[in-house]
Amino acid sequence: MSNRIIELSQIEKEYPGVKPLDKVDFAVQPGEIHALLGENGAGKSTLIRVMGGAVKPNSGAITYLGQRASWQSPKAARAAGIHVIHQELALFPELSVAENILVDAQPRGRLGLISNRARHARAAEILAQLGVKIPTHARIDELPLADQQMVEIAKALVGKVRLLILDEPTAVIAGHEVDLLFENMRRLRKEGVGIVYVSHRLEEIFEIADRVTILKDGQVVGTSPVGEISREEMITKMVGRRLSQIYPARRAAPADGPDILSVRNLRAGPRVRDVSLSVKAGEIVGVAGMVGSGRTEVAEAIFGARAVEGGTIEFDGKPFPRRVPKDAIAGGLGLLTENRKDEGLFLGLPISANIMAPDLQAVTKHGLIDRARERALAQRQIKDFSVATPSPDVKVGNLSGGNQQKVLFSRWSRIANRLLILDEPTRGVDIGAKVEIYRIVRHLADSGVGVLMISSELPEIVGLSDRVFVMAQGRVVGEIQGEAIGEEAIMDLAVRSIERQKATAEKVA
Amino acid sequence: MSAIAMDIRRNRLMISYLIVAALLVVLAVAGGLLSDRFLTWRNVGNLFQQLIVLGMVSLGQTFVVLMGGIDLAIGSLVSALTVFLANFLEWRPDLVWLALPLALVAATAVGALNGLLTVVLRVHSLIVTLGMSSVIFGATLMYRKEPGGSVPRAFADVAYAKVAGIPVSAIILVAIFALAGLWLQRTRSGRSIYFVGGDREAARLNGLPVDRIVVLAYALSGLCAGIAAIFLTARTGVGDPRIGVALTLQSVTPVVVGGTILAGGRGGVLGTFLGVLLVTMLNSLLNFVNVSSYFQWVIQGLIIIVAVGIHTSRRR
Repeated sequence: MSNRIIELSQIEKEYPGVKPLDKVDFAVQPGEIHALLGENGAGKSTLIRVMGGAVKPNSGAITYLGQRASWQSPKAARAAGIHVIHQELALFPELSVAENILVDAQPRGRLGLISNRARHARAAEILAQLGVKIPTHARIDELPLADQQMVEIAKALVGKVRLLILDEPTAVIAGHEVDLLFENMRRLRKEGVGIVYVSHRLEEIFEIADRVTILKDGQVVGTSPVGEISREEMITKMVGRRLSQIYPARRAAPADGPDILSVRNLRAGPRVRDVSLSVKAGEIVGVAGMVGSGRTEVAEAIFGARAVEGGTIEFDGKPFPRRVPKDAIAGGLGLLTENRKDEGLFLGLPISANIMAPDLQAVTKHGLIDRARERALAQRQIKDFSVATPSPDVKVGNLSGGNQQKVLFSRWSRIANRLLILDEPTRGVDIGAKVEIYRIVRHLADSGVGVLMISSELPEIVGLSDRVFVMAQGRVVGEIQGEAIGEEAIMDLAVRSIERQKATAEKVA
Repeated sequence: MSAIAMDIRRNRLMISYLIVAALLVVLAVAGGLLSDRFLTWRNVGNLFQQLIVLGMVSLGQTFVVLMGGIDLAIGSLVSALTVFLANFLEWRPDLVWLALPLALVAATAVGALNGLLTVVLRVHSLIVTLGMSSVIFGATLMYRKEPGGSVPRAFADVAYAKVAGIPVSAIILVAIFALAGLWLQRTRSGRSIYFVGGDREAARLNGLPVDRIVVLAYALSGLCAGIAAIFLTARTGVGDPRIGVALTLQSVTPVVVGGTILAGGRGGVLGTFLGVLLVTMLNSLLNFVNVSSYFQWVIQGLIIIVAVGIHTSRRR
């Protein structure tokens, strides 16, 4: 078939005891954005790796540009015009933008030496093609994430790219950065490039994709044009059952009573300039804003993991001057970090040790840890939070993303009986686990805990929050309550305040 | 993931232990075949007598590696302590009761200093302990260039003492390892070594006293080096400023052979103990078949590389 860039038929991949791909048929046409949808573990990443040459299927055929293909390595696939952009960007943070873009195609000058000038010229040319303005001399780690992602896309354009595969590119960016990404995807589509787009976010699939293929348990459960499938159908196919309601019901009445947490004019580092917010018992308070608006830093400052320069933090009506996590924990505070692998969990240790880590004194008797008690307490949490595991002795690193997140909830809900801070609680978690997490959060709030939830997923903020603070550039720029909470209202606040600041800056200048 | 695959992953450490134990049996059988004196009561007794020095420095190294660092000052520290002990005891043989605690306190203090420096200066432990090693080595040589000093007879006897035919030093070693295992598994501070080694930032956000744990691991490593130095001085009867040169690398070998991951957070003292047995037995066997000590160096180096290579490849 000539109108296919790539066609996979009856692809199977089997590891001992697992079958991530089971007779998968998948095809991408030129000038098409083809979304790949599925829960974690459905086989999306294996399928991407098969196309990218990183995994060899056990059986099945790959036809690429009309010919049978079988790549021995990612390099071979790339040489053939297939470029994969992984969720974790493959950039060298200490090197310049130009060096990164031309990483395996450094232009040579005379004497066969790498030519610096030619490199920057070529890199600038590629970036211009993408319509982005990024200085080619800048170091990668100086750039915002969205720009880093553009550099990754620019890498794909060095050679002739026929098939571009994007694995959850919007997990780390938001707002106009997503718009820019989509604009570039459309541009490439117009040029006849085939694009495979993996995402959890259904809204995005409706906005950008032409067709969608849904995977479940290694099998294709449906492929159809995006216009011919509804949101509900997508979820039902992906999860395998109907989800009656994604978000649990909100509070019947606004919370009253005193604030558990009251933050006034907080300043902490360059990203927290002026933040005032509050949380009452039993209330879920959302913190919305672009990535980089300072939300995570606010959470760290409240928890005592970041130095405070000015302003006050009151906890239960009392000033909270001590500034180390240990004291925050002793006061009934918990923080579920954004980056659970780097900052939250001990992947090499068993679930029980992870759950009890901040509270080992609870299971210590005469200076010794009581293993039986530790396991019993952990077991109870595992049951309460329905962590899918055969035993509390399983290492956390062997659990899925959703279950890891539930382990974190198990840990903190035991001891954070006053206030729980959640930073991106559903990142990288599939929709089934998301729904469970939403229930858990609402349940915790109903039991009287105050919840401060940071999230880049607006539907989540809107669906779950009783009150929302919007942040932009290190400041809280607005507060929305109850029925007024909506995606547009939030975006409006976030964007308008940035524009207003720009205008002021221009006036001053 | 299938249940079996999960099970194997979970018991990765168990597999490391089984491999090392199997190698021990292979070595014993090979030794028995190569020489009819290898498996005699007398040689096995000798072998156990030698365990304590390597055993103690490897135990100290295990604490530091589990916590996510490495201690490269162990060898120099042991050398310096043997020089101190032998010279002190030559001067005042009657003050053994003072010399030994003094040596242990000094060793612990040097270890704690290593830890403090990595915490305060935020310099990688490799650099801090390598620098410290050079400082100690140089200072010791400034004081004594050649082996010297002597120890009282009663003190020397400790190294060779036996109870019911079993070397006292081996009994002490096993007791210390057992205590260390209990501490790591069953106390808050011991468990915290794993937390800090597994993920320092996570440990901090869980409210654990990370800096104190780091200093504690290095201090314990120093203390272990002190105990090793006491037995080494008792056995050799002299203080030798160069005796510990090879000991630093040797202290790492049993740790990695026993399955403790160099990145920290995974492993344990049982593996190290088996590793110590394996290395000691291998060296004894090589002596029996008259392999030169130079070649033993070569083998030592190969073992460490291969052991880490095997563990890394099995993790993929």
